Amino acid sequence: MRNVVVTGGTRGLGIAIARKLAADGYRAIAVARQQNDHFAACVQQAEATAPGSLRFAAFDLNDIAFIPKFVASLSEEFGPLHGLVNNAGLGTSGILATLADPQIERLLRLNVTSPITLTKYAVRAMMVGGAGGRIVNISSVVASTGYSGLSVYAASKAALAGFTRSLAREIGPLGITVNCVAPGFVDTDMTGGMKPAQRAQIIRRSALRRLPDAKDVAAAVAFLVSDAAGNVTGTTVTVDAGNTA
Amino acid sequence: MTVRATVEATIVAVAGEHAKALPPLTDDLPLLDSGLDSLCLAVIVARLEDGLGVDPFSTSEEAVLPVTVGEFVKLYEDAAH
Repeated sequence: MRNVVVTGGTRGLGIAIARKLAADGYRAIAVARQQNDHFAACVQQAEATAPGSLRFAAFDLNDIAFIPKFVASLSEEFGPLHGLVNNAGLGTSGILATLADPQIERLLRLNVTSPITLTKYAVRAMMVGGAGGRIVNISSVVASTGYSGLSVYAASKAALAGFTRSLAREIGPLGITVNCVAPGFVDTDMTGGMKPAQRAQIIRRSALRRLPDAKDVAAAVAFLVSDAAGNVTGTTVTVDAGNTA
Repeated sequence: MTVRATVEATIVAVAGEHAKALPPLTDDLPLLDSGLDSLCLAVIVARLEDGLGVDPFSTSEEAVLPVTVGEFVKLYEDAAH
């Protein structure tokens, strides 16, 4: 079973991604501070069909100094690393002028510095394995469009898109691909605070007149992780039901 | 296997994997003239950390820049002791 780490893999988009990868024959290792009941039920379900395909690794991605040790512990417990899905992130919204300074810093730390550092050590593990690898960064359509109240979040997601393109060139010679998935607005805990009127407006402005769901995003991630995507690197797959078309 | 032998074997293996023609490894051979590019060196450093359990580049506060193969080997010999 090839190992794919999914950060924030116990809820929202992350759990949909982890479950899809587990169903596709990988061992999905969900990283989060703690498990929850829904995730535990998913693990039980996965155990019945493919034992070991969905696992949990406790870690607080804010503890950047401990990331090297954490990646080493993953390799020790599970073996070589095939893929990393940088999904965890904060969805802090608010008008920039009134956003608390520590909130800005916290968001950039968790959405940018943490996934970049985690990727560094995951890539090193892949270098040791010498069998190539897959990095998928979860960006957002707001990395390339605008949405009032999401400026800092958008900056963090645009950062991941830029990171993706340059890293793809850097480690392409090793057979490691680096791509982004840019979801539109998906119904998850993170977007739960959205007002019904805002939601309706997004739907009205989308080509397909609906919102994508977490499974759509998971399918795009699973493609980029798969062998079929071996010649896809440095790009962004947008999954937004045509909202930015 | 001594630290020196491990470092040299790793250099030779990575050069081979990346189809780099490697001149004979001598202590005074400048890394820049070894035919290894920065990506190869990154792979060598990652493999040596896995094999020797040390990474003199990450543990140092300041950027360490060995110029020759001999200096590169010595960094690992010092770190391993």
